[in-house]
Amino acid sequence: MTELVIPRAIIDDMIAHAKELAPHECCGLLAGTGGIVGRIYRITNIVAMEGAQHLSSFDTAKAAHLERLSPAERAEIAFVMDMQDFSAAKKDMRQRGLDLLVVYHSHPHDPARPSVTDIKIATDYEEIWPKINLPVPSYLLISLMDAEPDVRNYWIKSGQVSPAPFTVR
Amino acid sequence: MIKVRIPTPLRPLTKNQGEVDVAATSIEDLVNNLESAYPGIKARLCDDTGELRRFVNIYVNEEDIRFLKGKDTALKTGDEVSIVPAIAGG
Repeated sequence: MTELVIPRAIIDDMIAHAKELAPHECCGLLAGTGGIVGRIYRITNIVAMEGAQHLSSFDTAKAAHLERLSPAERAEIAFVMDMQDFSAAKKDMRQRGLDLLVVYHSHPHDPARPSVTDIKIATDYEEIWPKINLPVPSYLLISLMDAEPDVRNYWIKSGQVSPAPFTVR
Repeated sequence: MIKVRIPTPLRPLTKNQGEVDVAATSIEDLVNNLESAYPGIKARLCDDTGELRRFVNIYVNEEDIRFLKGKDTALKTGDEVSIVPAIAGG
């Protein structure tokens, strides 16, 4: 598999996105060709929208936890992508001939590794990607828990997480 | 009949079926017929005015209905409809 290359400007853009929304989680997509990222799509986190937690594969405990929080607080521990934004991004990728390469989100308070919820939902989504004509992406996490942001990328397949190394250029 | 792919979060409503067949001539028709067969599913997909919620997409043969005619998108036998929940995480 071709190793992923992410330009420094796009890493900086993702970190800026995470910082702008902190303490809420940000989310988005990276697309490119030949494993080289050329474009970032910021996607709105709509986890606070009524009912969002019921259609997003959150397990019962996580959904119950979300319901106990105020809408604003929900975005501190979860994200749900606005699928209008997602569809617009998907269409733009198709028009530009780009492949979806990465789904990213931030962990304002936690390490840059997938949570149990991230793994469950990514595993559920494995069967969906081919049906919407997209390759299975890797999952990139931006942690803001320390002074220096930490950016890591993973494959999540069949409930198993493995590092997905990338080069910054 | 139209083949409809049901995502994991909605399968408790469809007796755990990942795919169901529904007779329908449009997306609106399909959602109403799904509701008759599997009560509760419409409220997960549409808001009070009947518009598709922002945390779900419906694809007809891989095209988002938002880029077709929305809930008025016509369906014909052999079409495949996928209900796609939002990408999410914690």
